[in-house]
Amino acid sequence: MVRNWFIGKIGLAALLLLGSPQARAQAVTAEALLQESDRARGGVAGGITWNATVEAEEEGQKTSRSFLVKARENDALVEALAPPRHKGEIMLFNDRIIWFIKPGLRRPVSISPRQRLSGDAANGDIASTNYARDYQGTIAGEESVNGEETYLLELKARGKNVTYDRIRYWISKKKHLGVKAEFLTVSGTVFKTAAFEYGSVLRSPAGDFPFVSVMTIRDATGSGAVTRILFETPRAEKHPVTMFNINNVVR
Amino acid sequence: MKGAWRLAARNLRRNRRRNLAVGLAITIGFAGLSLMGGYFARVDIFLRTCAVYLQHGGHLRIYHKDGFDRALAKPARFSLTQAQQDAIRQAAAEDPRVALTAGYLRGMGLAGNGCRSVPFLALGIDPQDERQLRNHPDVLRYCGDLALPLRGRPLYQAADVEGGIGLASGLSALLGKTRVHDDFPRPPPVAALPDCNRPGMAALFAADASVQLAGAAFDGSVTALDAEVVQIFHTPSIETEDLELHAGLAMLQRFYDTDSVSYMALYLRDERDAPEVGRQLRARIESRGIPAAVYEFTEEKVNPYYVGTMTFIRSMAGFIILIVSAVVVLGVMNTTTITVYERSRELGTLRALGYRKSQVVGLMLREVFLIGLSGILSGLVLAQAVAWIVQAANLRVKPPGVPGTMQIVIPPNLVFSFWVGALMLSLSLAVAWLVVGRRLRERTSELLIAINA
Repeated sequence: MVRNWFIGKIGLAALLLLGSPQARAQAVTAEALLQESDRARGGVAGGITWNATVEAEEEGQKTSRSFLVKARENDALVEALAPPRHKGEIMLFNDRIIWFIKPGLRRPVSISPRQRLSGDAANGDIASTNYARDYQGTIAGEESVNGEETYLLELKARGKNVTYDRIRYWISKKKHLGVKAEFLTVSGTVFKTAAFEYGSVLRSPAGDFPFVSVMTIRDATGSGAVTRILFETPRAEKHPVTMFNINNVVR
Repeated sequence: MKGAWRLAARNLRRNRRRNLAVGLAITIGFAGLSLMGGYFARVDIFLRTCAVYLQHGGHLRIYHKDGFDRALAKPARFSLTQAQQDAIRQAAAEDPRVALTAGYLRGMGLAGNGCRSVPFLALGIDPQDERQLRNHPDVLRYCGDLALPLRGRPLYQAADVEGGIGLASGLSALLGKTRVHDDFPRPPPVAALPDCNRPGMAALFAADASVQLAGAAFDGSVTALDAEVVQIFHTPSIETEDLELHAGLAMLQRFYDTDSVSYMALYLRDERDAPEVGRQLRARIESRGIPAAVYEFTEEKVNPYYVGTMTFIRSMAGFIILIVSAVVVLGVMNTTTITVYERSRELGTLRALGYRKSQVVGLMLREVFLIGLSGILSGLVLAQAVAWIVQAANLRVKPPGVPGTMQIVIPPNLVFSFWVGALMLSLSLAVAWLVVGRRLRERTSELLIAINA
């Protein structure tokens, strides 16, 4: 009698566990979610080009900077277009190394993806996103973000040379697109948040898919600073490998 | 009591060996304390001179309100603008006790050699201010070694070199920039893109003095600049050896695209005026409507290493003085007790002849005073001799937290020695007074028949 009762309880617990959101979420792997969401943020296998405008507002001061971004797999070439005094400056993303090249500078200088680009946007925010490669992700739960059901992923940096140490990333269950992110320090303090909009469509030989149009970054330390990165006119373009060779860029 | 001093001096000859032992204890104890005081005074002035002049802290430092904590992270908001600098200079110029007012820009960034980049903490200094500070008499006297570049020439002598910078020795080693501009009579061509995977890269990095600096300008945009290493130097603190970079103020302002400074430092003719000048300056700055904070060089917040080290040293000195004084006092007490008991009949006779208690006590105190004074004077001579020998031997030590070595110089500090001597003498007299006074409380008849110890 007691044995039957015990088996029954275990069976019920197993049923509840398998039916829980966490168990269901495990069926969808974190890696697959990141790969799909990365595609909508520039992480595509073929070449891709877009224009990016960074609009920052901090303590009543507004700044705006424009860039042309050409990406291919793990590489990206970011060229400053405006304001005029920054024209000609180039950031070359070679895998996880970023070279900064400026007209007149004798040698390129390697900079950090964490360094601020403008406002609260880091250098690493503007180029293609490859969270699947750079972070170890686990599905931590399910939450509703602005009425949209999402998986909550906890991401931990696989190496030091990435933009953030830890990220909490909410990926839409339905569209498999990142809708919200919290960026954390090693100690777990949130220092900025981001919301993503997908108003663009990238037309590629592999098909059409939504592409990030706005990333709104908010300072989480109380300064009230807001930075918007507008990703405009994304287009699939074939870029030769040589385009991302530092020797060729410097010449 | 005529001839009491002569009598006391004559009495000292009666127990020469014992009095000599006590005198020697005082001599050695006092010489030790005197040398310790000299060493600590030397450390104090060395660290203070480093903090004030070589680290460019000044006797008074003026930041934008909250700028001390936040100017590096948010420079555009927490730095002093050109108008604020002008107003502060004007306020400082009203006080004749201020010898120099200098503006400094602090900033962070990455220094690259074409292959790798390492973080730096830059200090922008006006070359003319630098010249004045490096040639200050206190710097030349107490920190002469640290003030000289390890290699190359001071920034104020490198106006002819475009983008001249100084690197702390640790930072120069990290970048492989072990040679400076002057080591290349004909500037070599700079290889734009060294093959970073090639073996023997160290030789390639050292083949020129070119460094590229990258950082965030005041408006947040990425900025970069070519620089040429003109000097390699030791910083006054080991913590900054791998980080510190010095550049001309104008060059660093160009790099960060600003005309602001992180702080202003005031150098006074007499450091003792710092609290008063600081108080008056605060009032003048406030009346001009500048949101600023003024710090004195003795505040732990701005000079944690100097203030912390000196607090520790003062506590240690106090403890050592206590121990040595206790040993000397116990020696004097022991000797006086034996002497008093040995000379009980003599004391009784003096009392029987009509000498008052105070006169007898006075006689004994004179004896102790003479022993103590001789010990202190001998101690001072001994301390001077040891200090001279140590200086002549050119002994060098590596002070904790300071790169490089410094010569041990321990000239006895006369003020400190005077107070230590006064303390030891006073304690010896007090102890002698207690011992003799206690013995004289006994009846004269008992003193007269007392059996000598």
